[in-house]
Amino acid sequence: MKVTIKNWVGVATWRWVANDDNCGICRMPFDGCCPDCKLPGDDCPLVWGQCSHCFHMHCIVKWLQSQQVNQQCPMCRQEWKFNNK
Amino acid sequence: MDANVDLKKSWIMIKHTFPILDNNFNWPYAQTTDAQLFETINLINRFGLNATIKSLIISKFEEHVRKFVVPKFWAFFTTDINVGEGFGNFFKAVDYLYTFFTNHIHLIGNTSLLCNSKPIYNAENATDSLKLIIRATLLSQLPLNYNKIIEEFYETALKLENNDDTACPVCGNEPECSCLIYFHATNSKLVELKLLEPLCGQVLTSLIYGYIESYINKTCKDNFDNSYIDALEKWLDQFIINWLRKVYGCDGSSELQEQEYKQKLTNLLYETYTKVRINQLFNIIIEYPESSPALEDLSKCLPKTDLRPLLTKKLQKAMETRLLHPGVSTPDILTAYVASIRSMRILDPSGLLLDVVTQPMHEYLRSREDTVRCVVSSLTEEGPNDLAEELVKGDAVHVDETAASDEDTENWEAWMPDPVDVDPSKTSNIRRSADIISMLVSVYGSKELFINEYRTLLADRLLSQFSCDTEKEIRYLELLKLRFGDSQLHYCEVMLKDISDSKRINHHIKQDANYTDNSFPISALIVSAQFWPPFKDEQLELHPKVLSQMETFTKSFEALKGNRTLSWKNHLGVVDLEIELKDRVLNLSVTPVHAAILMRFQDQDDWCLDRLSRTLHIPPIILRKKIRFWLSHGLIDEFMKDCFCLVEEHDTNVPNLNADVVLDDYESESVMASTQDQREEELQTFWSYIIGMLMNLDSLPLERIHQMLKMFAFQGPTIECSLQELTQFLDRKVREQKLVFSGGLYKLPKNDML
Ligand SMILES: [Zn+2]
Ligand SMILES: [Zn+2]
Ligand SMILES: [Zn+2]
Repeated sequence: MKVTIKNWVGVATWRWVANDDNCGICRMPFDGCCPDCKLPGDDCPLVWGQCSHCFHMHCIVKWLQSQQVNQQCPMCRQEWKFNNK
Repeated sequence: MDANVDLKKSWIMIKHTFPILDNNFNWPYAQTTDAQLFETINLINRFGLNATIKSLIISKFEEHVRKFVVPKFWAFFTTDINVGEGFGNFFKAVDYLYTFFTNHIHLIGNTSLLCNSKPIYNAENATDSLKLIIRATLLSQLPLNYNKIIEEFYETALKLENNDDTACPVCGNEPECSCLIYFHATNSKLVELKLLEPLCGQVLTSLIYGYIESYINKTCKDNFDNSYIDALEKWLDQFIINWLRKVYGCDGSSELQEQEYKQKLTNLLYETYTKVRINQLFNIIIEYPESSPALEDLSKCLPKTDLRPLLTKKLQKAMETRLLHPGVSTPDILTAYVASIRSMRILDPSGLLLDVVTQPMHEYLRSREDTVRCVVSSLTEEGPNDLAEELVKGDAVHVDETAASDEDTENWEAWMPDPVDVDPSKTSNIRRSADIISMLVSVYGSKELFINEYRTLLADRLLSQFSCDTEKEIRYLELLKLRFGDSQLHYCEVMLKDISDSKRINHHIKQDANYTDNSFPISALIVSAQFWPPFKDEQLELHPKVLSQMETFTKSFEALKGNRTLSWKNHLGVVDLEIELKDRVLNLSVTPVHAAILMRFQDQDDWCLDRLSRTLHIPPIILRKKIRFWLSHGLIDEFMKDCFCLVEEHDTNVPNLNADVVLDDYESESVMASTQDQREEELQTFWSYIIGMLMNLDSLPLERIHQMLKMFAFQGPTIECSLQELTQFLDRKVREQKLVFSGGLYKLPKNDML
């Protein structure tokens, strides 16, 4: 017998490769989206800080805007720097 | 003048004028001349015997009527007669009586001369006195069942009236028989004797009633697609009233009475017709919209009759016995439900009857597990469909009944009071405005339940037909959004977006220079797990060849979408296979599980169930079910118990014995975790707590376990477990021998027993 797979349509779930499941700011799952967004993934991406913490991009931007003095990571209080890895 | 001689001669003369005094009832009597009559009267007056003679004559006459005439009349009724003889007998009886009457008009007239022509019994005239005597005596001797013959008489007459045959139904002769003449003669005799109403009135009325009823039944019983009211009214006027006019004779004095009678019959007509329709209302509803003429008729009849309560009662009863029971499928109930609502709108535009009728349906639908699923799937079904039609009509769903009831001041003249049999606690505005979908949703009191069900169905559909028409689904989603609001359907929107995104991603990956699919082409439906209903968790170890191809795909995905990766749901998807055997080639679309099984048989011709189960990570029971698919295709054979081998070639002489192996319905099975599965998972979390308890406390009664779980394990309102549910759960553990139950206590099995 010779079995030839002519086509295989599989099903997969996508997820962010992150240290945590939930965003430390909005507490929503990374694989979902931030409270301001409706669509996950490309439309509500994650960003990493150099401290290796990551957040919904929209969440950390909002957070940083609300901080008048220092731009700190809300998790570890280190200075926030985007890690463009 | 010799008084003796005079006396004797006078008595002879008197007896000659009044032969009745001589007990001579041989009518017709010999006529006396006027001269003789006056002489006799004078004679009696001279003796001063007028009062005595008069009483004597009357009492003799009355005795005769009582003892002879009336019994003879009634004898026509009571002697055993055969069916069909009633018509003739009644005719004869009336004829006899009438002849007696005409023969005695003289006698009574002459007698009244004895008292200065003052009529006897204060009647208007002598003839009336005679009628009075006859009538009174007749009615005082009414025999039992006297009306049988009268009934037959008029029934036959009605048949005569309606006769289309050439032969007369009474005498069997040609149409020119005299039966109709006899009939009319009899009636006019009865009218003259003033006996028609007292003797036949009741019979006629009940006969006509019965006739109307059977006519209505006959003409419109099972026909709902015509209106009958006008035709029936015309029939009543032209046939029934006309016939009665002939029976009662047409003297102008009874005009008023006729009007009254006609009104009564019209009422009866309406009542009968309404009752017929009410008794068939369930069928009428089921046949909506073809049956709308019947519904319109009924809606015209209801205000003229007093039958609303009957309608409510009958319809509710019919619903109970014919619809709301386990023998009827939920889609059928829903169809009937929609038809009921639409029918009731015709029947009662105020919308009040609707409540009364749909209330039990709501209660019943609420008790059915698959209602929501059926509603949602018929909403989304292909082809013409009642509920889908309703959806297109738009309007947001108002589940809460607090919608402001603006008084329609412009239209105040059209206001109608609510009928009395309706729950007054609900304002009519809401009932009137409610549309079918809102009503159905409000059965559950929550839109969420509906939306969740829709989401599950959508997920199933998207995963089972990978080439789905996303445009159509999006259009449909927009319709639902109009009804249920954006936020509720947001998840579904993401699901649909996943489908179109997947197409794009697949396209990109295929063009990726680093991506190769030299072993076979693969594509993926990449879903955002957070937005889809939970998948059934099934294990499946795919063939290494497939796994490595998936790995390649994942690598490309990771390269395309930074910081993201894929987790494959191995058991989901669809695989197109070409299977080359020694004697044939098969092209099949199968599930990944079936593909995985067959691919193992490509590597190795025979497998035992156990080893295959370990290789594929599928429990043997499920695996066996899945192998049946290949058994049915004759590719695999179970050559001994639990041992399977590949069948490369069929002996052409032996017919395919496996052809009739029943295919399991793997295609229709939902890949989504059912609520029951989800619950099962929740219960499973308690299991570790229970083991812990029993290890520490050795044995515990049910209530104590429940209490302790409440204290330690239940967090939040959703993760709870009723005592009953816990019992079932623990009992199952006992059956699985993971628990021991004795003396009302649960404990863990001893280790050495395991
Ligand atoms: Zn966030
Ligand atoms: Zn966002
Ligand atoms: Zn940090």
